[in-house]
Amino acid sequence: MKHKLPFYLSCLLMMLVQFGFSQEKSINGTVKDDQGIPLPGANIIIKETNSGTQSDFDGNFSITAQVGQILAISYVGFESQEVPVTLNTNTVNIQLTPGATLETVVITGYSRRNQTVQTSAVVSIGASEIAEMSPVTSIDNLLQGKAAGVQVTAANGKPGQGAFVRIRGIGSLTAGASSPLYVVDGAVIQEVDLASIPNEDIENITILKDASTTARYGSRGASGVVVITTKKGKRTGDATIRFTSRFGVTSRVNPNFEVMDAAQKMQYEAELFALGVSAAGNLPGVTTTPGTPERQFLLDYETDWQDLMLKDGIIQNNNISMAGGSEKMDYFFSVGHDRNTGIIDQLNGFERLSTRLNLNSDPKEWLSLGVNVGYSRSTSDEPRDRNNAQNPFRAMYDYSPYETEFVLNDDGSIAVDENGNPIYNPTNTTFNVRGALLSEPAVAIQNNWLGAVNAEVRLFSGFSYTFGVAANGINERTESYSKPGGILDSIIGDPANPGNKLDTGTYRYDITFSNRLNYNLDAENHHLDVIGLFEYNYNENNGYRVRSIGFPSAELTTQINAAQVTVGETTRNKLTLVSYGAFADYDYAEKYLASASVRYDGSSNFGKDNRFGLFYSGSLGWNIAKEDFFQVDAINDLKLRVSYGTTGNREGISRYAAQDNVAFGTYPGGSATTPSNIGNPELKWETTTTQNIGMEFNLFNRRIRGVADYFVRTTEDLLFSIPKADESGVGFIFGNLGKIENKGLEISLQGDIFQNENFKWTIGGNIVFLENEILELPDGEDVTPGNAFNILFREGAKINEHYLVRYAGVDPATGAPLYYGADGNTYRAFDLPEDENENRVLQGKSTIADREGGFFSNIRYKGFGLRTDFVFKAGNWINNFVQSNLISDGFNIQSNQALDAFNYWQQPGDTNVNPSPLISQEELGAVNSDRFLQKGDYIRMRNITFSYDFQNKVLDKLPVSSLRLYVQGQNLLTFTEFFGDPEVGISSGETISYANSVAPGEATLYSYPNTKSIQIGLDVSF
Amino acid sequence: MKNIKHILLSIFILGAFSSCEKNLDQLPFDEFATANAFTTAQDFENGIRGVYLELTAGGFYGSSDAGSMLSAPDVMSDNTTLSQYGRLTKRTLHNFQYSPNASMRTTYQNAYSLIYRANQILFYADSFEGESKDNIIGEAKTLRALAHFNLVSLFGKIPTQSGDANGSLGVAYVTEADPNTEPSRLTVQETYALILEDLLDAKTRINTTNPAGRLNRDAVNLLLSRVYLYMGEWQKSIDAANAVSAQVAGRDDVVGVWEDTSRAGLIFYIPNEAPILGNNIGVTWSQGGITSLIPEYVASFELNNLYDIGNDIRRDAYIFDGSVTSGGITTNFNGIKKLFARPGGQPGVVDYKIFRAAEAYLNKAEAYFRAGNEGAALAALNTVRSRRYLDQPSNNESGTALLNAIKLERRLEFAMEYQRFFDLKRWGDAIQRTNAGDVADGTGTPSDVLNLPAGSNKFQLPIAQESLDANPNLQQNPGY
Repeated sequence: MKHKLPFYLSCLLMMLVQFGFSQEKSINGTVKDDQGIPLPGANIIIKETNSGTQSDFDGNFSITAQVGQILAISYVGFESQEVPVTLNTNTVNIQLTPGATLETVVITGYSRRNQTVQTSAVVSIGASEIAEMSPVTSIDNLLQGKAAGVQVTAANGKPGQGAFVRIRGIGSLTAGASSPLYVVDGAVIQEVDLASIPNEDIENITILKDASTTARYGSRGASGVVVITTKKGKRTGDATIRFTSRFGVTSRVNPNFEVMDAAQKMQYEAELFALGVSAAGNLPGVTTTPGTPERQFLLDYETDWQDLMLKDGIIQNNNISMAGGSEKMDYFFSVGHDRNTGIIDQLNGFERLSTRLNLNSDPKEWLSLGVNVGYSRSTSDEPRDRNNAQNPFRAMYDYSPYETEFVLNDDGSIAVDENGNPIYNPTNTTFNVRGALLSEPAVAIQNNWLGAVNAEVRLFSGFSYTFGVAANGINERTESYSKPGGILDSIIGDPANPGNKLDTGTYRYDITFSNRLNYNLDAENHHLDVIGLFEYNYNENNGYRVRSIGFPSAELTTQINAAQVTVGETTRNKLTLVSYGAFADYDYAEKYLASASVRYDGSSNFGKDNRFGLFYSGSLGWNIAKEDFFQVDAINDLKLRVSYGTTGNREGISRYAAQDNVAFGTYPGGSATTPSNIGNPELKWETTTTQNIGMEFNLFNRRIRGVADYFVRTTEDLLFSIPKADESGVGFIFGNLGKIENKGLEISLQGDIFQNENFKWTIGGNIVFLENEILELPDGEDVTPGNAFNILFREGAKINEHYLVRYAGVDPATGAPLYYGADGNTYRAFDLPEDENENRVLQGKSTIADREGGFFSNIRYKGFGLRTDFVFKAGNWINNFVQSNLISDGFNIQSNQALDAFNYWQQPGDTNVNPSPLISQEELGAVNSDRFLQKGDYIRMRNITFSYDFQNKVLDKLPVSSLRLYVQGQNLLTFTEFFGDPEVGISSGETISYANSVAPGEATLYSYPNTKSIQIGLDVSF
Repeated sequence: MKNIKHILLSIFILGAFSSCEKNLDQLPFDEFATANAFTTAQDFENGIRGVYLELTAGGFYGSSDAGSMLSAPDVMSDNTTLSQYGRLTKRTLHNFQYSPNASMRTTYQNAYSLIYRANQILFYADSFEGESKDNIIGEAKTLRALAHFNLVSLFGKIPTQSGDANGSLGVAYVTEADPNTEPSRLTVQETYALILEDLLDAKTRINTTNPAGRLNRDAVNLLLSRVYLYMGEWQKSIDAANAVSAQVAGRDDVVGVWEDTSRAGLIFYIPNEAPILGNNIGVTWSQGGITSLIPEYVASFELNNLYDIGNDIRRDAYIFDGSVTSGGITTNFNGIKKLFARPGGQPGVVDYKIFRAAEAYLNKAEAYFRAGNEGAALAALNTVRSRRYLDQPSNNESGTALLNAIKLERRLEFAMEYQRFFDLKRWGDAIQRTNAGDVADGTGTPSDVLNLPAGSNKFQLPIAQESLDANPNLQQNPGY
């Protein structure tokens, strides 16, 4: 028998008076649900004491109690029951009635509340659900399709890479400012660092969507808040040891298009040369004749570059945790190892070692102490994510199939250099990335500490004081080496100083000191929680960059032996935040609910007189089903809630944006003063106002569960790097600009289609219908944002609409590409009406999906389980630059092309074709059109898991308490009309980085492809 | 016990509240307040170097793949042929396929960024009374004039180009460091007037000698002679050229000038040494070594043949015999040597050479000829020719033959040196390329576009769409 007692209950118990009887009784019992199904792991607690137990797999328990004591039986998702112990109590058989979703605990970081009395739009995901989801290395990817209104787009498929998470649309027009705030055990961490936390350590992820909870994070809650809580042990004496392991293979999600093989490519070259495309003249399709030995040689040594460049990768995960506790303390310890080799042949991908220790103790009756410490170290290969052949994912399309990896001798053998090493073929791109992956390695190594300590002092009659410090420190080093004699070094290196190494390091540090005074009133029908808050947050970045050239050997990978240091620099910046807050939650008999908050925040990056912002919220809720007059059998729970509030944002601008500053470069003779920032002392908080109305309901014995919310978010004084006239010579200035609005309807529904003792089938899903609009821009003028390709902001338009000339197809008579002019007529490129400003149009085609969500089915039969999760997205538009390169109408004739490139205009009357390469050559680049702008709609089977939980009769014979085996597939099916993979986040990381993306998903440009995987796994507990 | 709790609590709260709000005053570590950056003489030295530094920006005299002052005037001419063996950079320029979506915006931005810096230092120099004041103002105004002159040469017409040139669109001439300015374009005539105003003032203030990498009075006079030449102010061009004191490099120095072993005849150059600069500017023409060449452009077969090998030293200085071997086949190129490398040095790292004394003589030769003084024209021309040939092919042309000789010599002397496109443009000539290919013997792939007719609107580059979007007062050039 295991003796476990949740910590929060023990806290409650201590506040109550203990009274004693001396007669002990041994009591046996079972706990079942309303259907008669045993509930394993239900808590049976003797009220007002520290003792208790849990039911076993068959729902059985036994406990020793004294006559007069009260047994409280509780189980997550069910209503608790109490049974008094009398002289006659020997057997207690309990049937619990479900209270399902409404009993979920909501954790905001400042407080915990039951969903029943919650007045905010909040989604909570517990550990058991996380365990069932797709195995991912970064938590943000895991949120996709799980919560209505939470839009998640994988940045790319690189192992360990995060995602773009957007809660309720785009809250801000600048890069990086639309990501939610992430808080782990009270420490703020950046979205890019989420990969440092293993899923197995997470107890709960709570997503706060509306202002009544986000306003408590005041300054930084404008784009929603994701609160992550790590696990803790149960105070039941015995430790639970849990071991999880997964192993599997991963590969690219197969493209839905084909590129040419060697014969096709050469045929294409010959065809185009015959047409008059002169650039084809020196290509083998022209210089060799079909049937000749030269041609045959090329065909014989054909290379499938995609096959060569990619591999089937390996995914491995092992994690062991030990958790437990005694009366006055609990602990959770874990250590985990993750590996994902990725899909690039010759690279090792991503590896992470993580460990965590969480401790809580009550050293005094009035004092509780807690410490959570996590450490992780990851190493990640960093292939170039740029838009040229240095990127393997571009190179594999650019290299022509008749080009070989190595230079070949006439007899087909591989040519070698004077050292006997094979000579890489530079190919048409002048760069062989196969060789470069070995000779120009880049790796990022990250050490990440995440720690929180807190002390709670219980004062008098409901008052308590909490002091907490939460810190996050990330030490990251990126090493890029261009080895002496390597592919890149021989092109751009200094022959006198071969080899080139760049080490970049950052140390990022974030610490929050928090002081909270809590007041808690728990009267008969009145429940009141009040929190007063004072918080100080400090964030510092330190960086260095050192570059040297002149390496005597490729084996030397540190710079100490290099001949010459060419770059050496250090950098530092700081950001501070001071916050005062007061929050209150009240409910009357759990029927009438009210919450209010006010927060006053000052941030160092605004103008001196505009540092402080006031943010507030208020919300009301009504549990109608708890009213005596409400007697509808079909409706078990029904809650209405409404909220209004404001939140702020300070992201998206540089840390000293309010100040006029210069920096210094060097120029022959000495230092050189360069303007580094044109200050804007008027800079102030961006403010978001959210209105929300929501309804939560459970029907038919809670077999149907649902939540619906309608929200309107308006954001004003948007922080923005406002482009200035090129003639000003300053580029841009940070400022506050305009107003945007996001509104939407979120619906989540779940239903138990079928359930009996052995079989249960649940389906569910969620969707958000999202609309957004730019309401105001300064002086009503259009704004072209930087860090995007063809986005324009215009009053009345959607956010992130593509701004392009409309392509009108091919003129059947001439084969020329045609475009729509502003007057609606079609024109050849050079005949378009002169003011091209008018020819480009906004067509309501935005990068932002207007419908997004997920659905799932979960079937359980005895120990077997089959869970499938789908995610979907619709209404967004993607500019397919990859396709435009692969169907380039002869412009990229030296590079390989898609098979569809054959479909070009050949004779008058041809329709539904690509333009004539001859004409397109002359007119290419003249018009920035929407020819390759495509719908990004897709449905993807994110996860399918088939699992088996061993039954009790087997487990009884084994030294384990639970055992689960499963097979899991990820991204195995995709339905889309998009050319290529529709899940587009980053276009090209070196063109527009993850952190700088204003419009993620605007365009495709060869970033790391998304992957699919099949894994087998094991979860075992002792 | 309660007392202990209260004491602990008080300590925590008091300690925390007392010290935090002043932490909201944060100053940068990596930057410096602009208001404090222009006070001492040293500040102004740093400041003026900051203006020069922008000259090295990628789109200005750097090596941007989108084209720069360093490459575009030859890429858009008959001096170069696009190589099929490189990365095909600047192809839209070479093929005259530029449009508002594919334009030289980086150059436009870099030039105005320099202008902002010049205006900033001029603003602060107003209240500076150090002895270097005049020199600083002189340099800043020359740089400001040079940037506007480069811009108007690319984006506007040149006064002598056609009869309507003076009244056509020039560029915005910005004289104040104002981030919010949204100026409209002046006419060509107005633009040139302001360029002259800056240069004439600079001429009286700037030092006769300044350290390497800095302009001096010779540079101002040389630039003046070019501006006057572009304007058709022949006598003023001659006068300005005559005021240049530097001597044309001798024949023996010509190769060394381009290998950075000689400074002969250089009026303004920027030393390009790591770690101060060390920029690979030669990447604009090619990458790799002599026998592993990855050329972006090669010297056109026609240009190569214009140099009398062995006789004209410039063939050795400007063009080299490069090659690449792939699959056992060796391809030879007429590689562009001007920015190739110092012998044995890092590829593409050579000094930026911006003004040379030879130009004063060639400007003067042309201006004298136009002014009707053929004798003086011939003398000036021969000053250059006698220092280039072992055996000068001719030395006594007259009439049209003399003009053609002046034009030819200018092409030969300044090939790959940022003049050819502007010369053809201001002469009102067409750009006519031969059908020869990109390989050394004239085989291979010729340029896609062989001809840009005289009078084509494409002689004026389009203003980028983004620039038009950002400044509602800006007007596009006709034809785009």
